[in-house]
Amino acid sequence: MSLYFRIAAQNVRKNYRFFIPRILTEAGLLACLYIVYTLVRDERMSSVKGGAYLPTFMVIGVAVISLLSVILMLYTNSFLMKQRKREFGLYNVLGMEKRHVGKVLFWEGAIGSVLGVFLGLLLGVLFYKLSALLICRLLAVDSVLGFYYVRAETLIPPALFFLAIDLFTTLVNWIGLARMKPVELLSSAQTGEREPRVRWLMLLVGAASLGAGYWLSVSTENPLRAIVLFFVAVFLVILGTYFLFVTGTTFVLKRLKANRSYYYQKRHMTAVSGLLYRMKQNAVGLASICILATGVLVMISTTVSLYAGTEQTLDRNYPRHELYLSADYDTADGELLPIPFEAMREIITDAGARCGVPVRQIEQQRYLTVGYAFENGVCVTDRNEGSWTNAADFIYLTAGAYETLTGEAVTLAPDELAFCVIAANAPKEHYELETLTIGGQVYRIKAYLPSFPIETAMISTNRYGVVVADDAVLEAIYLDQREAYGETYCSSFTDRVCVSFQDRSRVRALGTEVDKAISMGLYTWVEAQPDHTADVTWHSAWDAYWESAEAVYGMYGTFLFLGILLGLVCLFATALIIYYKQISEGYEDRGRYQIMEKIGMSQTEVRASIRSQVLLVFFLPLAAAAVHVCFAFPMLLRLLRLLLLSSTGLFVACTAVTFAVFALVYVAIYSVTARTYYKIVH
Amino acid sequence: MTILEVRDLKKTYTGRFGAQRVEALKGVSFTVEAGEYVAIMGESGSGKTTLLNVLAALDKPTGGTVLLDGRDLSTVRDGEIAAFRRENLGFVFQEFNLLDTFSIRDNILLPLVLGGVRANELEERLIPVAASLGITEILDKYPYEVSGGQKQRAAAARALITRPKLLLADEPTGALDSQSSSELLRVFEQINRAGHTILMVTHSTDAASHAKRVLFIRDGVVFHQLYRGESTNEQLYQKISDTLTMLRRGGAAE
Repeated sequence: MSLYFRIAAQNVRKNYRFFIPRILTEAGLLACLYIVYTLVRDERMSSVKGGAYLPTFMVIGVAVISLLSVILMLYTNSFLMKQRKREFGLYNVLGMEKRHVGKVLFWEGAIGSVLGVFLGLLLGVLFYKLSALLICRLLAVDSVLGFYYVRAETLIPPALFFLAIDLFTTLVNWIGLARMKPVELLSSAQTGEREPRVRWLMLLVGAASLGAGYWLSVSTENPLRAIVLFFVAVFLVILGTYFLFVTGTTFVLKRLKANRSYYYQKRHMTAVSGLLYRMKQNAVGLASICILATGVLVMISTTVSLYAGTEQTLDRNYPRHELYLSADYDTADGELLPIPFEAMREIITDAGARCGVPVRQIEQQRYLTVGYAFENGVCVTDRNEGSWTNAADFIYLTAGAYETLTGEAVTLAPDELAFCVIAANAPKEHYELETLTIGGQVYRIKAYLPSFPIETAMISTNRYGVVVADDAVLEAIYLDQREAYGETYCSSFTDRVCVSFQDRSRVRALGTEVDKAISMGLYTWVEAQPDHTADVTWHSAWDAYWESAEAVYGMYGTFLFLGILLGLVCLFATALIIYYKQISEGYEDRGRYQIMEKIGMSQTEVRASIRSQVLLVFFLPLAAAAVHVCFAFPMLLRLLRLLLLSSTGLFVACTAVTFAVFALVYVAIYSVTARTYYKIVH
Repeated sequence: MTILEVRDLKKTYTGRFGAQRVEALKGVSFTVEAGEYVAIMGESGSGKTTLLNVLAALDKPTGGTVLLDGRDLSTVRDGEIAAFRRENLGFVFQEFNLLDTFSIRDNILLPLVLGGVRANELEERLIPVAASLGITEILDKYPYEVSGGQKQRAAAARALITRPKLLLADEPTGALDSQSSSELLRVFEQINRAGHTILMVTHSTDAASHAKRVLFIRDGVVFHQLYRGESTNEQLYQKISDTLTMLRRGGAAE
């Protein structure tokens, strides 16, 4: 082993306070990257029920974690280098040339890298198993994995990625080293720092930006617009947070300092001036902690509430039926004929009975769905005029069909209709309309219906139900939109069979069996027709409760897993930044602490002063994150509505619990690092 | 009136495992009268820093007593020590020990603020002290913006603003160039003339030659002392020099 390697190994041991977190950071991030990367590639996972979403969403995870890894590894490295500047200066003075120091740096990097990557892969393989079990749990499927998944194809790319980052940081360090001048290095810690000034422009821009971000979140009513504006708001809030942390804190502290009777008090004087300097160096780090904390809170609370609301979402979208089905078959002379209702009823009842899930009720629905731009009670059919902000779907039924479905009779004249607002997000004035204008024809709204018998699942635009007098009116409406939108884009009538089974949970478990049995029945029926095609072809449209359940669990379960994982990575990053802040401050405060004791401040007073400063510094980001989350709440709620979560209470509860857990973890991180801090100071 | 009375002061340091015992002070006795300006001289390792630490209540003696204005330091309770130090003693250190996060003004005011003096009283106390030390101009500057001599005068102002009974100075000229040193020593003389009692530890003959009395410490005991009497600074300088030479020769002869 070379001399440089030995020096490097000794340095790593001696500077364990810096190197251990660096190695753990690399290991932790690599383990997370390994997990998401393997989830993208592991075909056993993507083949479980609902697992089809895994590869797609985990790619997002790979991207985010890779990016965070680069940033955090560079941050860790820059911190390490800054703390050790004097040491390098000393080497130089003692006669080591820069290229020798460079070799030592290389070996230090190599030791850290090898340990980090090795530990990371080990953790990754261990926790992959745990993650896989967790995902199976979240997707509500039985675990399929009995063994560890260890393959070179998923081990090597993440490891190489981290080795590349390490190589890059070594390069950065070499460049830094080449620029260093030894004399400057030795005295670098001695130069005093100027008191920070308030940067007014930055302060104003920050305040405006934060205000705008908050305002967007609170004022954006339309959920579709919220999708776009959400990212704008996030950007504004991030910008505002950085600017305000940098200048706002200085501004407040300066004001406090200018207030003589406040400033010249035992408790305040050392704290205010100490904070003024502390904030100057830490504002960016604290703002980052605040952003990361907000990110963790938002990710985890939304994904948890989505997941927790899955059953509710399913019940809302399938209030009465478990299966919607329509089927047509091809005739030998090229026509497409619907399979009659009676035949369908027979096939489905038979299939249900054979699978042990008896059918409770089957009904037929015939309705028309048309999309409009809906404004002030007028339905506009012009494709160019309607913008996506006031898009609405109208579902039409005749009075006869309505009566069949609900058992309630409505008597309507040809220029009258009954109206129902299905969407929960519709503006208030839509509940107070007198008339509706459809296709140029004005209809009087005779009644507002409290509910509508047609459920169209998984749609998030505003929806309205309309009952018209008879087929003639319906036909007119149909023709009008066909003329406006053209043959290709117009809507056509939906004929479907709605099935409700006697035992919902049983049909959910046996859904695939039912699917197969119905398909068999349809095949047999079409084959029995005299005019079927040579290869017996038919087309069917399914909307099944059990398939949606699988999809929703697959999607929300995957979301939740990703949310938890990214939340953990952010938490990890937060912990790391806090730890390094505490250490660097400990080294800086040591000198001040000793001076204050010499000029007659008691140990308890010094400790109280430092404690109050440190507490404020570390809990300010948490408090700011709490405010951010409160303001993000209205917008997140609207976005969740789009994803079909409707319960505000559930979301409030999830957010509150997430915040409480996060605050606990934060306090734990804080107290562990605070102990290191006090050890350094004494 | 006696301000400081040191009787048979002993301090023994014990090594970490009790194996080594170092007697830093072996029985030091002397008194300082109000208005005196006493310099304590000794070479490195003679025990003068230990003595100063004990006098400053930063360290506890193994034996003997220290009476400050008639009060036995060993009777001051631990919780009171910081306040006691603040109210009775002023310190000037070799390395200035100014806080770089404070302006010169705030550095000087800090002991008063810690003592709970009201904000509107602060300025009244500051103005005369700053004027007498010639630092009125630099009050709003920061330590890193002023010269070493100015820093040390600011430190002296910080020590004097609490009106201490005794000003303790530990090598106050140690980090200064000769010009700033002699300026500071003039300032000390002037402070002394104004009625402050000064006890200065130094190994600079020049610094000691400004005092009214010089104590020589060697191997943990007071070895010799010189009174200024009617001598000028130059004459005292010569006497100190001779004494040091004698001490060294005497040491060699033993």
